[in-house]
Amino acid sequence: MKASGVTLGVAGAVVAAVLGAGWLVQRTALPAPAPATLAAVRAATWLQRYRLVNSTFSIDGGPVVHGQCLQDWFQTGGHRNRGAALQLDDGFVLLAVQPHTLVSKGGSAAERSLSPLVLMELGGCPRVLARRLDTVAQQHRGVTLANGALTFALKGTRVTLTLEPGTGKPLTLRVVTRDTEGTSHIRFATVTTRVRQLLSRELPVYGS
Amino acid sequence: MATLEHAGSVPRGLRRADESVRRLPVLAWIAGWWLAGRAVIVVTVLAVHRFGPSGWIRHVAHAHALGPLEAWDGRWYRMVADSGYLLVPGRQSDPAFFPLFPALLRAGHAVGLGYATAGLVIANVGFLGALVAFHALTHTLFGESMARRATAYLAVFPFGYAFSMMYPESIVLALIALATLFALRMHWGWAAGCAAAAALARPEGLFVALPLAVLAWQQRHALSPRARGLALGAVLAPVAAIGSFSLYLGTVLGDPMAWSQAQRAWGRAFSPFGVIHAFEGLGRAFTHDAWVARDVVAVVVYLVLLAAAARAGVTWPWLLSGLVIVVLPLFSGSFDSVGRFGLLAPAAFWGLAALGRDPRANRLILGLSLPLLAGAIVTLPLHFP
Repeated sequence: MKASGVTLGVAGAVVAAVLGAGWLVQRTALPAPAPATLAAVRAATWLQRYRLVNSTFSIDGGPVVHGQCLQDWFQTGGHRNRGAALQLDDGFVLLAVQPHTLVSKGGSAAERSLSPLVLMELGGCPRVLARRLDTVAQQHRGVTLANGALTFALKGTRVTLTLEPGTGKPLTLRVVTRDTEGTSHIRFATVTTRVRQLLSRELPVYGS
Repeated sequence: MATLEHAGSVPRGLRRADESVRRLPVLAWIAGWWLAGRAVIVVTVLAVHRFGPSGWIRHVAHAHALGPLEAWDGRWYRMVADSGYLLVPGRQSDPAFFPLFPALLRAGHAVGLGYATAGLVIANVGFLGALVAFHALTHTLFGESMARRATAYLAVFPFGYAFSMMYPESIVLALIALATLFALRMHWGWAAGCAAAAALARPEGLFVALPLAVLAWQQRHALSPRARGLALGAVLAPVAAIGSFSLYLGTVLGDPMAWSQAQRAWGRAFSPFGVIHAFEGLGRAFTHDAWVARDVVAVVVYLVLLAAAARAGVTWPWLLSGLVIVVLPLFSGSFDSVGRFGLLAPAAFWGLAALGRDPRANRLILGLSLPLLAGAIVTLPLHFP
């Protein structure tokens, strides 16, 4: 009885030593990921979790616009592909579907002259932002975290994403390009049949 | 002339010196095979670097002369060593790569080596160590002639180019062989350390627990209660080591199962019917990428070698651990990389050594291995090992 107690005790000590030493070796030998990359992954996870984002934004101090960006499947050229549809309350609609569909209609001349990427960023189109955040996080460079805001570059634009303390949820966006600057407040929403029906009326192509 | 080991009154230090002298020719012979195999690899890699194909690893293949050897997973190990782990949900990310090798890369970097240099030095010197440990283990279990053949075959085995890449396979094989050698010699504390380190470098290290468990059971009457505890601890050490990895990932990423999640993103989601899916999807996989044929051949070769090992009298724990190493990956629905995984099944090389007992078979195995090894290196830019 005493012998088996010694055996189990020693075995337990070996297991505990391996657990402790293994953890210690990893803790001392490997670097911890940078807070900016962890925050980027967290923000990207929020963005991946939702397919619909409501936004309120203004560009270059202009009028405030309300937008809705939906990530969905769209029927283009006889194929169903993933893409994003951004609809603004002034009637502007932008549809970007992989691999080569980029169409817009309605809205003001100023909106139509803007870079579609800037509009999609300010509209909080989740996959556009999430994909870039995942990439910069995985490269461990190109993303900084200061005062609860992540800053990263995306094809000629500089995006600053303010995060909710504690949860890391993206709340506001600031997009700066060489000749444009815009700020946006974004809110994640759940996709409903009604939202899809409303969007499908406006879009040149739709299907899911 | 009587050797010193028969002279009971000779001091222990002198006896050890005598043993070392007797081991020198064996060590030189092993180093010769190591050198021959690595020379084939280096010369072929230089040719690939100079003349192509550049394939998928264009950026590293041309970064420096030995660039192809740091491609594929080498890039991920380097990333962990440089920046730590990061789980990107739904994407291929680095917690799928176990921590011992990146920790060694970091240690190499700390003494002034670049990550690539450190990786290649550790892998190749580690393989020399693996050959020495494997020879000693095989000698202990099956005698000298089997040990010589198995070691020579291992040194030039066609899939063995992975031992020279920035991969942990050579270290893991060395640790598996050392763990069982220590167990055979009843040094269970050391066995526990080696088994834990093997599991901390590759998940296949876990299966060294099988031969260790059987050895512990066989020695149970000869061991003191304390030594029995050490032996039991050694059997459990690989699981505890993987537990420490989970613990670490829980600390830095907030997800103890991050490694398992990352494995899924790499297509390693295990299911009971995975092996059926692997066979069902074979046609589709072949249409998509004909290289899958290489890994199917690897599975067949390893199974034949394990069968030969069984016929030659290799004991069931070794056969079972080899079988698990070769067959378990198929339960993830894919044949990918089995050629490399099987390198960690010592029983396969004992099976090959058993087949090579016949001098003609021996010549055929060696004659085929070297050109196949060179050919395998040429395919490196085209498909991951």
